[in-house]
Amino acid sequence: MNSIAGISNAAQSPVPTVGGRSTDAAGKLAEKVLIRNLSFYYGDNKALKSINVPLYDRKVTAFIGPSGCGKSTLLRILNRIYSLYPHQRAEGEALLDGRNILDPGQDINLLRARVGMVFQKPTPFPMTIYENIAFGIRLFEKLGRAEIDERVQSALRRAAIWDEVKDKLQANGLSLSGGQQQRLCIARTVALKPEVILLDEPCSALDPISTAKIEELIDELKDDYTIAIVTHNMQQAARVSDYTAFMYLGELVEFDTTSKMFTTPRDRRTQDYITGRFG
Amino acid sequence: MLFHHSTRAAAILVLIILSGVIIALIQGSLPALQAFGFNFLIEERWNPVTERFGALAPIYGTLVTSLIAMLIAVPLGLLIALFLTELCPPWLRRPIGVAIELLAGIPSIIYGIWGLFAFAPFLQRTLQPFLIDIFGSIPVLSSVFEGPPYGIGMLTAGLILAVMVLPFVASISRDVFEAVPPVLKEAAYGVGCTTWEVVRNVVLPYARVGVIGGVMLGLGRALGETMAVTFVIGNAHRISASILAPGTTISATIANEFTEAVGDIYTSALIALGLILFAITFIVLAAARLMLMRIERRVG
Amino acid sequence: MNLYSRRRLRNRVVLLLSVGATVIGLGWLVLILGTLVYQGLSGLSLAVFTEMTPPPGADGGLLNPIIGSLMLTILAVAIGTPIGIMAGTYMAEYGKYAKLTVVVRFINDILLSAPSIVVGLFVYEILVAPMGHFSGWAGAVALALIVIPVVVRTTEDMLLLLPKELRESATSLGLPRAYVIRFVSYRAARAGIITGVLLAIARISGETAPLLFTALNNQFFSTNLNAPISSLPVVIFQFALSPYADWQKLAWIGALIITFAVLALSITARALSASGKSS
Repeated sequence: MNSIAGISNAAQSPVPTVGGRSTDAAGKLAEKVLIRNLSFYYGDNKALKSINVPLYDRKVTAFIGPSGCGKSTLLRILNRIYSLYPHQRAEGEALLDGRNILDPGQDINLLRARVGMVFQKPTPFPMTIYENIAFGIRLFEKLGRAEIDERVQSALRRAAIWDEVKDKLQANGLSLSGGQQQRLCIARTVALKPEVILLDEPCSALDPISTAKIEELIDELKDDYTIAIVTHNMQQAARVSDYTAFMYLGELVEFDTTSKMFTTPRDRRTQDYITGRFG
Repeated sequence: MLFHHSTRAAAILVLIILSGVIIALIQGSLPALQAFGFNFLIEERWNPVTERFGALAPIYGTLVTSLIAMLIAVPLGLLIALFLTELCPPWLRRPIGVAIELLAGIPSIIYGIWGLFAFAPFLQRTLQPFLIDIFGSIPVLSSVFEGPPYGIGMLTAGLILAVMVLPFVASISRDVFEAVPPVLKEAAYGVGCTTWEVVRNVVLPYARVGVIGGVMLGLGRALGETMAVTFVIGNAHRISASILAPGTTISATIANEFTEAVGDIYTSALIALGLILFAITFIVLAAARLMLMRIERRVG
Repeated sequence: MNLYSRRRLRNRVVLLLSVGATVIGLGWLVLILGTLVYQGLSGLSLAVFTEMTPPPGADGGLLNPIIGSLMLTILAVAIGTPIGIMAGTYMAEYGKYAKLTVVVRFINDILLSAPSIVVGLFVYEILVAPMGHFSGWAGAVALALIVIPVVVRTTEDMLLLLPKELRESATSLGLPRAYVIRFVSYRAARAGIITGVLLAIARISGETAPLLFTALNNQFFSTNLNAPISSLPVVIFQFALSPYADWQKLAWIGALIITFAVLALSITARALSASGKSS
């Protein structure tokens, strides 16, 4: 996996990275990310209680559950974005390729280049469309103009927005529609060649047509990236994901393949949520 | 890291500036304070020749002119806020709001020059004789409105201050009135209250703290205002019962006399006046801030 | 009169009073501007901008005060703006949850409304007295001390208004804090911050008191900042209070110039902030 951070990170990590294949030699699914006994606190309030869940390599894992169950909180641990806020802290382990990313020794900026995030609200930077993408790339690599042009184009293609913006790369990012802005944010994230992409309710601010486009996009992206998506929309989870985790009140209630979860859930609470008894 | 530390240093600098002001003022006032002691505050005499100074007249003038200003500006400001939030047609709201804020932006020296050349003569011809006549025969009030109509004087200064403070009170009150949740007002209208009753019983109580905060900010401005007052106050180190008489305020005294002050005691007395002014405005502004902080916490 | 008609009457009276109050308030504005234009416009000519202030009885203009004011303003902005923006940045970004920020905000608001004559006294004590003479530098510092609180306040407010998702998406690309602030936050808040600077300029353009015992005044044209330097507000002060008609005339002209400069700046600042909001 030739991610930017992967190159430098490999030098740090003593554990060989399992890259390039979604199953290891024994045919078992490779765990790209493994969350072990993870708890999270907002001040004194325990928001996550000893979560254990894997994210399999090159698969889409959806996190569903009612409001306040902790699914966004969990996602935000994986790129340590919570460290911006002093009263939030995590305990436990989150292993990326076997290495605990919660370890204080972990370089946080390099981590974020490996684990990208797309937010609920599209947030293009106040720059041109081209700059939105190029900006991040330039931070981590020294490339000539032609190479950056190529990277920008490939990122925009990856995000299925190239055709719509190729003639207006110098337009301000804010001039795009909501759905386009969100795809721009996705392009921005994939431009850094991450290994994991976290999507926090990426479609909840968008209209159905943009939502459909992004769901198609997720399906294409999973060939190369490990994806975790938080969603309020169960049907969406059923459509796009390979694995689903149901969370309730800060606990992981059930984790299984999506087809099993939606047809024969094991836990009573999962059944109730999926059938709409509460939500 | 460097960026982090530089921004922190800049924030600390703001703290240092304030401490610096207080220290410098205290240091500069020491000679006068040592020479006159507490009497400085209650002594009316101000004599550069004999080097006897007392702050009573400037303090009195500052307080009286500010009081006159607030008595006029607060009701007017609240009424304007009422108009803007309840009566005014929507398309007029922005222009009038902008106009009020432009009034706040006019530099004080403009008020001063306008006051001296346009307003004071006008008052001299119209309002002042009017007041003298009306109150001439009423026992106590006649001494408040007594005296030849100079045109300039404490009343004039107070009126000009009122015009300067008015936009502050109006803007802040309007902002606070607008923040009242419409549901509360609708509930009152729903039981048949008139507009005034809604304002008096729902809007004002809800907005009370904010309005008081705004009023105190306006007061802070009135107390410290220099140029407008200097032009029209008359610069007499006297306390008179009549508000039509000339007087002086702390800031006007400093502005007028500082560059001609000879001798350490004279200069120091003026700086001591500055210290007193700073102390008064600091207290008023701090109280206003604390009050406004309380509503911010309540709202959100 | 029964209860109901009494209530209606009271209501009508109050509403009428409020209209009256608004008319009075606006009336002042019209009156003052009208007087300014009436008195000052007739004397406005090219000579005002090209000739020095004259001794009483002679012809002249306002060249030295205009140039002096421009120099002092530019200098004050150059000194005060960086400090103000940096302090505001600390309060909104790095120090958002720090105790220092609460204290500085409180103090800053007090400095914001403090009597400007006190600022003049302060600068006298720390610069003029030790230096032994009045100077343009002292005047510029005094004005800078008025600029700083304004810029601190608007910078902090503007930065705090930015949605937290903007910072988070920049951070999640792996940008270090200083980059997020400089390349994303500043750009997004740019209109607001510039508005703050414009408002500060409008404010110091009319300030007289702080200059009275720092920069003092200079009858002749001078650009030497080490010596007393002329400025428009101080000249107006001096000329208006004098018994000479031609000096008074020049005072009106100067007042007209300042007022329209201040109004133009205020209107520009508003237009900027309105357009910033709409994007």
